[in-house]
Amino acid sequence: MSETGMGLSGKQLVLSTLRHEKTERIPWIPFAGVHAGKLTAYSARDVLTDGKKLLASLLAVNRTYGADGQPVMFDLQIEAEILGCDLLWTDKGPPTVASHPLASEVEIPQYLPDAGDGRLPMVLDVMRSMKTQVGETTALYGLVTGIFTLASHLRGTEIFMDMFDRPDYLAKLLAYSRDVVKRVSSLYIEAGMDVIAVVDPLVSQISPRHFTKLLSAGYTDVFTFIRDQGAFSSFFVCGDATKNIDVMCQTGPDSISIDENIDLAGAKQITDRYNITLGGNIPLTTHMLLGSQQDNMKFVVDLLDKVDQHNFILAPGCDMPYDVPVENVVGVVQAVRDPEGTRAMLQNYQGASFDLDAVQLPDYATLDKPLVEVFTLDSDTCAACSYMRDAAIRATQEVGDQQVELVEYKFTERENVARMMKMGVKNLPSIYINGELRYSSLIPSNRELVDEIQKRLQE
Amino acid sequence: MENKLEIIREGIMDGDMHLVQTNVQEALDEGVSASEILNEGLIKAMGEVGRLFEEGEYFVPEMLIAARAMKAGLAILKPKLVDADIKPIGKVAAGTVKGDLHDIGKNLVCMMLEGAGFEILDLGTDVSPDQFVDSVKNQGVGVICMSALLTTTMPNMKNTVDALQEAGVRDSVKVLIGGAPVTQAYADEIGADGYAPDASRAATLAKQLLV
Repeated sequence: MSETGMGLSGKQLVLSTLRHEKTERIPWIPFAGVHAGKLTAYSARDVLTDGKKLLASLLAVNRTYGADGQPVMFDLQIEAEILGCDLLWTDKGPPTVASHPLASEVEIPQYLPDAGDGRLPMVLDVMRSMKTQVGETTALYGLVTGIFTLASHLRGTEIFMDMFDRPDYLAKLLAYSRDVVKRVSSLYIEAGMDVIAVVDPLVSQISPRHFTKLLSAGYTDVFTFIRDQGAFSSFFVCGDATKNIDVMCQTGPDSISIDENIDLAGAKQITDRYNITLGGNIPLTTHMLLGSQQDNMKFVVDLLDKVDQHNFILAPGCDMPYDVPVENVVGVVQAVRDPEGTRAMLQNYQGASFDLDAVQLPDYATLDKPLVEVFTLDSDTCAACSYMRDAAIRATQEVGDQQVELVEYKFTERENVARMMKMGVKNLPSIYINGELRYSSLIPSNRELVDEIQKRLQE
Repeated sequence: MENKLEIIREGIMDGDMHLVQTNVQEALDEGVSASEILNEGLIKAMGEVGRLFEEGEYFVPEMLIAARAMKAGLAILKPKLVDADIKPIGKVAAGTVKGDLHDIGKNLVCMMLEGAGFEILDLGTDVSPDQFVDSVKNQGVGVICMSALLTTTMPNMKNTVDALQEAGVRDSVKVLIGGAPVTQAYADEIGADGYAPDASRAATLAKQLLV
């Protein structure tokens, strides 16, 4: 969606940040891989294997989460599958590598992936469609499996022993892996990706000494290659890679993205020294998956208080779990778009004691006509909230303004917070009809909502 | 003698398998007891490895190679320990939960537990609740260690705890959990006995729970 309200599109905002320019607000990149399917009721496997379903889900992410930038495909098994690894599929997560073709053979493969291999035709096709449909306003990320993680997919955990037992073999395997990274990067850049994110979670498991010895030259080569091809680069790592941030910076990516295992403020001091943009690190499990909407809003405003906002991109720590409640991400969007307003909302919610007896709720049992109540964070700044409100306006207009009553309550007003507490409204945005929760976070289709209202008219 | 034990400890910390093998054998030949080599050599060294890992000095490769050296030494000691009727401090079943194939973390936990003096029943990856229950019922396991790397497979930790409950063996076993998405709060929520953020602390915790 990408409206900044300050002139720059979301895409320009991301690219400016990757050029290390000062921007008026922080760009936000929802890492919705499998989670994209939750917005369209498709399974993880659906969105990772079916181009149409993936595209529909990515567009839903773009719209609902106001993405300034977004990854097109978040699956670190794409290359491994092409190169002979068997995959184990699940409905709610990306597949896992189940076999390693080089586990017992000390060989160096020669083959480099081609645009026609494995799932690449589907991925490239969706990349081109995304470029056409939202590429003007959204920075698109092509995610490539990192050098060490790809090599470990091929070799298995024996790769750790190779570091001591077969250093020459390992060097050759990593050089091959680097070439795969470069090949896939160039395919993604040709398909219109603005940023190539090289994702290497396993980097967190090795020492800076091993990183320097085994990976520094390869990564320097990869990031130079991406830059020469006219794209920006990002180095994604998961896990506690605190000690490797410095050596990662030395390989020259435009940005680095980290998860909650690393202290973001501490890491930023390092990336700032190299003038590299840092992205992260909303906790995936404790906050996004298991926390409340308010927990997520609070995390973001607290994070913004702690870090220098220049050279910073807000993002989840890594690929969001499938079942992250949509309202939690909506809360994040609200917080990054309007930190001041969000602080006030949180204060309203936490600090104040409300006289709930003073709140007058309608007598829902004896309404003259159906009552549609839309509860939003703030439909002026929260994209999902404005869609929810607009859906309600459109449906009530179709049914007939005289036939149905529509009210919006924004969380920005104290009396509305009290009303929400009295009604037990947990998540925003949501639509209640005649006092009953009907839709929470996911925007209903016009037909669905019209039918729902008409059902009440007939009662 | 102390010098020999020190060489063994250093050998483990450097991951020098051959040095450890040679010196364990020489120590035995010199009359040092198997239990002393185990406790003062192998277990002490792995404790130090765990400490360095916790402090961020050692990483996964250093730990794996140290554990391999320790195991090479242990293989020489094992028959002597059996002869001397030296028992492990407990038996642990470790596995990555159903639906999850990640085994680096689980393997490290097994190695650290072995290095701490436990007998290990490595159930591997993709381990069903029934397999964990069977380990308690039929194989004399006192501690279960479960690992999960995915938020989607994490619920199988709870399913396993529930299965232990249903099978009536929950009170006869301690349950430890760990893995990237797992937290102490989650351990509390599902009724596990403990959570460890890394392999070294899993071994320490397992010891504490058995006391």
